[in-house]
Amino acid sequence: MNRIPITLLVNGEPYSLAVPPNKTLLEVLRDDLELMGTREGCGVGACGACTVLIDGVPARSCLTLAVDVQGLSITTIEGLAEGDELHPVQEAFVERHAIQCGYCSSGMILTAKALLDKKKRPTKDEIKRAISGNICRCTGYAKIEDAIATAAKKLATPSK
Amino acid sequence: MITNVVGKRIQRIGIQQKVTGKTKFAADLDIPGALTLRVYRSPVAHGIVRKIDTKKAEAIEGVVRIFTAKDIPGKNLYGIINRDQTVLADSKVRFIGDPIALIAAENEKSAEQALKALEIEIEELPAVFDPLEALKPDAPRIHEKGNLLFTRKIKRGDVEKGFSASDIILEETYETNMLEHAYIEPESGIAYREKEGRITILVTTQNPHADQAQLAAILGIGPENVRVIQTETGGGFGGKLDMSVQPFLALAAYYLDRPVRMTYSREESFQATAKRHPLKIRMKTGATREGKLMAVNAEIIADTGAYGSYGIAVATRAAVHATGPYEVPNVAIESKAVYTNNNWSGAMRGFGVPQIAVAHESQMDKLADSLGLDPISIRMANAFKVGSVTPTGQTLRASVGIRETLKKIRPYYEKFSREIQETQHPLPQGVKLGVGVASMWYGIGNTGHPNPSSAQVEIDETGKITLLTGAADIGQGSDTVLLQIAAEVLGVGTEEILLVRADTGLTTDAGATSASRQTYISGRAVYEAATKAKEALLKKAAEIFNAPSSLIVCDGGYFYPQYREYQKIPFGEVAKRAVQADGVIRGEGTFNPETSSLDPETGQGIPYTTYAFATQVSLVRVDSVTGQVSVIRAASAHDVGKAVNPSNVEGQIFSGVAMGIGMGLFEQFFPNKTKSFDTYLIPTALDVPEVTPIIVEDPEPTGPFGAKGVGEPALIPTAPAILNAIHQATGRWVNRLPADLETIRGLVPPEEK
Ligand code: FES
Ligand code: FES
Repeated sequence: MNRIPITLLVNGEPYSLAVPPNKTLLEVLRDDLELMGTREGCGVGACGACTVLIDGVPARSCLTLAVDVQGLSITTIEGLAEGDELHPVQEAFVERHAIQCGYCSSGMILTAKALLDKKKRPTKDEIKRAISGNICRCTGYAKIEDAIATAAKKLATPSK
Repeated sequence: MITNVVGKRIQRIGIQQKVTGKTKFAADLDIPGALTLRVYRSPVAHGIVRKIDTKKAEAIEGVVRIFTAKDIPGKNLYGIINRDQTVLADSKVRFIGDPIALIAAENEKSAEQALKALEIEIEELPAVFDPLEALKPDAPRIHEKGNLLFTRKIKRGDVEKGFSASDIILEETYETNMLEHAYIEPESGIAYREKEGRITILVTTQNPHADQAQLAAILGIGPENVRVIQTETGGGFGGKLDMSVQPFLALAAYYLDRPVRMTYSREESFQATAKRHPLKIRMKTGATREGKLMAVNAEIIADTGAYGSYGIAVATRAAVHATGPYEVPNVAIESKAVYTNNNWSGAMRGFGVPQIAVAHESQMDKLADSLGLDPISIRMANAFKVGSVTPTGQTLRASVGIRETLKKIRPYYEKFSREIQETQHPLPQGVKLGVGVASMWYGIGNTGHPNPSSAQVEIDETGKITLLTGAADIGQGSDTVLLQIAAEVLGVGTEEILLVRADTGLTTDAGATSASRQTYISGRAVYEAATKAKEALLKKAAEIFNAPSSLIVCDGGYFYPQYREYQKIPFGEVAKRAVQADGVIRGEGTFNPETSSLDPETGQGIPYTTYAFATQVSLVRVDSVTGQVSVIRAASAHDVGKAVNPSNVEGQIFSGVAMGIGMGLFEQFFPNKTKSFDTYLIPTALDVPEVTPIIVEDPEPTGPFGAKGVGEPALIPTAPAILNAIHQATGRWVNRLPADLETIRGLVPPEEK
């Protein structure tokens, strides 16, 4: 199959590579860029484990073709913390015990970040709706919802 | 008891890696040059493999080797309890998905092509998919020994007398659903052969030591030549107790001079792994006018599908727990596990107890309804207490918190009931609200079998403490809990202990992460190991302080003689001196709770040392027009003995309620039809209500700091509580899971909607 040259902007870094037109963003992230924090749970768009942000909007990387996101800004879980400093959403997931096995967490955290980027004080219902495309089999969601509400508060209070 | 670490909401070990995506699951491991493995699976439910021609497939570029049954060097038969499953079919296939050939290729594409090029002829045999049909004498025979895998009987007192003495007798049948575990991480692993010949497998698993023993038998080599290392595991719920990719990885690594890797697609994960046993239950319950239970008689049929897996354990547990957590003087239970040509059923969170709880808890509400009693009172009138005798003849000696859970739930029951009365605005046409209660009991550990665990605590001359445990943390949090127990004993923080876990090359057998046993059993083994290590240090400290070791305090990272804290010496200093004198300190801990095997005819015996108890209440909304049931609120009270980490316990309760909602309302696996999350719906955040977790601590004397377990109990009362609430809302009983849209729509006649 012929390969198409593309440039991806992932976590602020440009990557130039040549990819087959049917290669998914998930495959490129994991196989070519070795960003293994994006997980595959189903490969068909039904679980949300592979969620990344494309220009700030949550998208399923298993359904997204790499060639289609040429030039767009992609955020994966690896791009959230600044050095050792966790993003407030990550911090809240730690503090509120919102993780069990952690397989859904990358997608869940990115979905939460996108929500909080556009809604400063989401209601419980808005939180539930936002994460309803991300399946978690372990936590029963309560602590995840709590973590997202906690993160909203953190983001509202300017850090010292 | 004052504790510093146990009982605290310590952050989960490894959570920093999990939030940053750095955690490496098996599929994330880097193994250069690894071959890809794929399995050819049977397209028919029952048949004899007549011919396997691999020539064309082998000729495909990139295909390295194709394995069939004749390549298996040891025993081509495995299984966790009864060995009846072939790694690759040697003659028969017994379900759609049974493995026949294994392909090792340079890449996914070549493997895929080879799958299509394999020439396999199967002579189809008549198949049977219903366990009752399978029991008929002329049914197709799935295994040589016949289709009845196992029968468990429990007999106590005289049921006929019990029914004669009853004022009311209810006889009902119940059916539960076949379920998929649906952990989000699909099965995955890598393997390679070390220079010295040992086969090393890194794999997602709940059971590394059992994997090791089974793989050694398959390869016909000693267990010391197989090393299984559990990778970070993305959920299990019982589905990763059986082997999945392990035998394929081991077989390929045994023959090839290349590392190998294998990850199931979600579709393969659905097709090729265990399911929850669907149960058919007939239950007859007799009680007095006052609601005192007099007799329970039940017949249980569990569809174990093509292979035994944990079928024997499921049939046994369903029988042992069939009365619910209540005193019943006369009991007769017969429980069978039956082979069919369905996907094989195995362990899933609760081993048959979530299924049987649907029956006993529906029976309790039906009795209460007929006798005009409230659901909590009838349960309280029968609930176990210290001194009660169970159907297997075991006297409960301690830690029987069922009554306390009922007490804790009563205010929520009343609050939810008031909420219904106070709902001012008229509900839409056909919508009704209801409250439902359900209780449960659950024996911790393997049933009537020894189930030992072991652990070690090592302290070196720098004072570095290492905890070695074979217990696999699959996301539930045992790493954290076991560290908390060790830290508490040693008077240090969890961060001061290094954890080595679930690697058969470094750790000893802790038994499976199943049956809610790791906190209780491995926790106690860790407690013993840490205590022995501490004793060695106390001895040294006693020498240093010239005081009897019974008067030495070990706390907060220091040793000091009682009342002389100002003389304290750091933990590391004492360790250094002790190690210099006597060598590295190694505390060895084991624990094997007392059990006895159950009598084959009467089931009498001691199946478990201790039991967890729980009661749950839910408020549901039933829309009889659309058929939609939603749980609006729930509260769940669990006697866990001692919550070593309350956040973990709450996490399990939330998790159990969510999974129970799926089981109660919509999850159902259809063999050969269900292939993805598009058709197998699991609860999302929108399906799960606000849940109030309530922790009851009735300490278990043999548990570490009194702890028992909660992983499976969290799920068990959920589905029956929902069914009872549906009845309260609609006046109709649902005896069959799931209570899905069609069921509910059909429940209420149109004129009542
Ligand atoms: S892996 Fe992409 S949605 Fe499941
Ligand atoms: S934490 Fe395991 S799937 Fe969400």
